[in-house]
Amino acid sequence: MNALLIGWLLLPFLLAFSSALRPKLGWWMALICCTATLVVGLALGFAPEAIRIQLVGPFGVSLLLDGFLTPFLVLNALVGAAVLLDRGQSQEDPSFCLLLMALHGSINSALVCHDLISLYVALEVVSLCAFLLIADRHRVQSLWIALRYLLVGSTALLFYLIGCAQIHASHGSFGFEGVRGATAGPLALLLVGLLTKSGLFISGLWLPRTHAEAPAQVSALLSGVVITAGAAPLMRLAQASSAIGSVVLWLGLASTGFAVVFALLEPDVKRLLAWSTVSQVGLVVLSPLTAGLFALGHGIAKACLFLLARHFPSRRLEDWEEMPLPFSVALPMRLAALSIAGCPLLVGYLAKERLQLELGPLPALLVTVFSVGTAAVYTRLWASPIQRVPSGWTWPVSWGVTLLVAGLVLSNGLPLMGHDSLPWLASLKPASLGKSLGVLLAGWAVHRLIQPFRAQLRLPDVERFDDLIGSMGIMGTAIVVMLLW
Amino acid sequence: MIEALVLVTALAGFLGVLLRRNLFLKVLALDVMSTGVIGFFVLLAARSGLRTPILETSPEVVQPVSPFADPVPQAVILTAIVIGFSVQALLLVVITHLARREPTLQVDAMEEPTEG
Repeated sequence: MNALLIGWLLLPFLLAFSSALRPKLGWWMALICCTATLVVGLALGFAPEAIRIQLVGPFGVSLLLDGFLTPFLVLNALVGAAVLLDRGQSQEDPSFCLLLMALHGSINSALVCHDLISLYVALEVVSLCAFLLIADRHRVQSLWIALRYLLVGSTALLFYLIGCAQIHASHGSFGFEGVRGATAGPLALLLVGLLTKSGLFISGLWLPRTHAEAPAQVSALLSGVVITAGAAPLMRLAQASSAIGSVVLWLGLASTGFAVVFALLEPDVKRLLAWSTVSQVGLVVLSPLTAGLFALGHGIAKACLFLLARHFPSRRLEDWEEMPLPFSVALPMRLAALSIAGCPLLVGYLAKERLQLELGPLPALLVTVFSVGTAAVYTRLWASPIQRVPSGWTWPVSWGVTLLVAGLVLSNGLPLMGHDSLPWLASLKPASLGKSLGVLLAGWAVHRLIQPFRAQLRLPDVERFDDLIGSMGIMGTAIVVMLLW
Repeated sequence: MIEALVLVTALAGFLGVLLRRNLFLKVLALDVMSTGVIGFFVLLAARSGLRTPILETSPEVVQPVSPFADPVPQAVILTAIVIGFSVQALLLVVITHLARREPTLQVDAMEEPTEG
């Protein structure tokens, strides 16, 4: 059993190197990796108890595989497969499939590892692969964005390493359990690293430009799954230490509110999607119990929207009202937007309902308020009319998008696999359904209300390089204050 | 005392990344910061002792009495050094590409949203 799991972890790297030798088979190899991850993810959902693997002795690598990982692994598999299907077997850039497999494998490693140093290594590999995917050496702007991404990520992970060293010095091990009794200093250093990698609150200021400038398929990977490589371990740490849990809860809420405001006023559609990622990651990290489902719902929908972004008539949202979209683009786009906004029957709604059951009264109220904001943000994607004249049957726009839309509906069944299907039934009560429809209507009203003022309202530019680096210092200080308090 | 100095090195590197206007110097500052972190790990490993943690099994060698250094942080930081080195290499490659378009490598010039 353990040998199979380790084989699954190593498979993407093995196939990535093989694909360098046989580039023509790269596409199929990458698809095999995604299928293997999907199977392992679903199998873990049925596993009766958690599997712990300790490699090379007590000081070696420790892995923990349990039901918590199921949605994350399914998400990684689905988004990877969708990007491959969307791309087709084109030979134009053979290194793409290689990098995709390496990225896929390193995200899997970041999800399953259960000690601080393995996590560091996995996150660095994720950064390097993402950097190589973003960088296009023919475009200066793309090189600059990629360089910025790697520089910010490496700086954050150096802070994380100092935190690891201090935890080792006080507890004698690098295991996640070591954070339980740790003091504020090491915890703050660890959190600065992980918050930057998952793109939360002001640690996530690097995210909007990076995700908006990257090619559409890479953006789908970045927004869909790469952020979960930071968010999922953050939730593991929050499970191990309640101090981290409460700090991350409030930072998550702050992130959601802060980014919703930026998304509401953003004129560019790709940047709007990227800001919305910052706000949705905030909701993902609110509770370890719902993190997986929420990340799955958001990741599928956001990857779908980014894949569709290539077919948008314009990136400027104010022009959308005069630009009709073909039905084959408009339908998946509207479904994905509805899912993130929390429309019933799509997975986003289920995740939001379960999250509200887990939270205390004040955070739950704030989540409802921010949901109205999210609904207002996604109402803007509905602005474009649907093309009346059918110019031939164009559906599907791509099989990748079709896969993701199917995922949006089918993921509703995922919580049934666990042992607690009760919240699933509770989420379909008339009161919950009415509330979510109310939130959607309120979102539409907010959208209409601020529409006339949008041109006059300008938010400060907070995405310059100095802001990104400076925000780490601010966040570190803020976390120490929160932990001591 | 040495611990504080090593952490000050890391902090100086961080301030360099923050305050230097030139991209090349920012990347060098990242290296300074990474040197500080490596020094911190080595220092922690040396807290229990200075001797190389290798057991002598041959009976002729008299076992010395000085205590061992902790091998775990040493092994860990070796990985981090390799990763840091590859990150530096990649960053410098990108910088050489950027320098063809922006020979001054000033960060403010990069942030202008002009498409090249």
